[in-house]
Amino acid sequence: MSEVITFPVMSKDESAQGVLATWFVKTGEPVRAGQVIAEVMVDKVSLDVEAPTDGVVTLLVEEEAAVSQGADIARIDP
Amino acid sequence: MTATVESAAGIRRVTTAKAISEAIAQEMRSNPEVFVMGEDVGAYGGIFGSTGGLFEEFGSARIIDTPISETGFIGAGIGAAVEGMRPVVELMFVDFFGVCFDQIYNHMAKIHYESGGNVKVPMVLMMAVGGGYSDAAQHSQCLWASFAHMPGMKVVAPSNPYDAKGLMISAIRDDNPVIFMFHKGVMGLPWMAKNPRSIGAVPEEEYTVPIGKAAVAHEGSDVTVVSVSMSVQWCLDVAESLEGTTSVEVLDLRSIVPLDREAILASVAKTGRLVIVDEDYKSFGLSGEIVATIADKDPRLLKAPVQRVAYPDVPVPYARVLEYEALPTRDKIEAAIAAVMTA
Repeated sequence: MSEVITFPVMSKDESAQGVLATWFVKTGEPVRAGQVIAEVMVDKVSLDVEAPTDGVVTLLVEEEAAVSQGADIARIDP
Repeated sequence: MTATVESAAGIRRVTTAKAISEAIAQEMRSNPEVFVMGEDVGAYGGIFGSTGGLFEEFGSARIIDTPISETGFIGAGIGAAVEGMRPVVELMFVDFFGVCFDQIYNHMAKIHYESGGNVKVPMVLMMAVGGGYSDAAQHSQCLWASFAHMPGMKVVAPSNPYDAKGLMISAIRDDNPVIFMFHKGVMGLPWMAKNPRSIGAVPEEEYTVPIGKAAVAHEGSDVTVVSVSMSVQWCLDVAESLEGTTSVEVLDLRSIVPLDREAILASVAKTGRLVIVDEDYKSFGLSGEIVATIADKDPRLLKAPVQRVAYPDVPVPYARVLEYEALPTRDKIEAAIAAVMTA
């Protein structure tokens, strides 16, 4: 079963646009649970996003893309 | 030779900022004498992220926010170090050293000597250096040669996350005062310009990178390009773009004091051509010291005159176009390589 990772909801203003600031992994790479895979930013506040599970990652958005909070950003397949 | 871990599948990559704060955290866990002090190093995590997450783990007793009083808190750090603690003190911007240099060069750097070797000052003084983002003349300098000129301090300036973590651990464990200079452009911060080489594979476990040892960051045989800190990243970009045309050896000094003169001489003995890329001021500085190293040993090592891509002797301009006119850039490095190849 693949697991989808979403952009964390960081701001009380849930309509505030986020940015996928940095990807630390590439599509097709194996990742481990707890590994930091991205840094995201909303209103200049940044947050690390960790892989929730072991698997192979597929990125769903480009680095520096504007992303809505809660939107899908990556998928992890076992 | 090359110190960077090749990015491989499953290996975690982190920013230089994270690598530095992780190094400090690991040393703090294993040694209760290590603590951090400076402006905005606490809840804010350092204005360039060098102490991110430390306050949450260690609290205000070991991660100490200070007033804007550099002479006071650097002096306090020296006192703690003399008493056997291992302070990591942050000056914020190197440009601020003017208000506290007596503590740095007359006390921190000389107590060991003046006590006949009886008193050690195992202190790390870290600070942000460098420009490229229009922060103007008082917040953009490198100034490593100014510290290197005064005896008694080691001076390091990493160009990537792997070296940053290893050098910070070495600096904390060193019994001498170490100036740890991180360029803002190598920190991998989301709100600064993206420099892909500022994010890299870093082992989770503790390791050291020796102070005083350069690294061959890119092997080559036609020309030696010696650099340090942020500029190493530009040199690597150029070296890779010239592959197949000119074989460029990039030597990342990593430390300015002690200067790895053997590594410089060995590379120049191999290539016979030298370009020096230095974001610090050109005159009376690192680039001249490197040329002197060759001249002292054997000027016949050189097949062509040396090219120096260094900061012109002017204050850092604010206007973006003017600042980039002064900074080392890929274009200038490439032109300098072409000049030594055709000389």
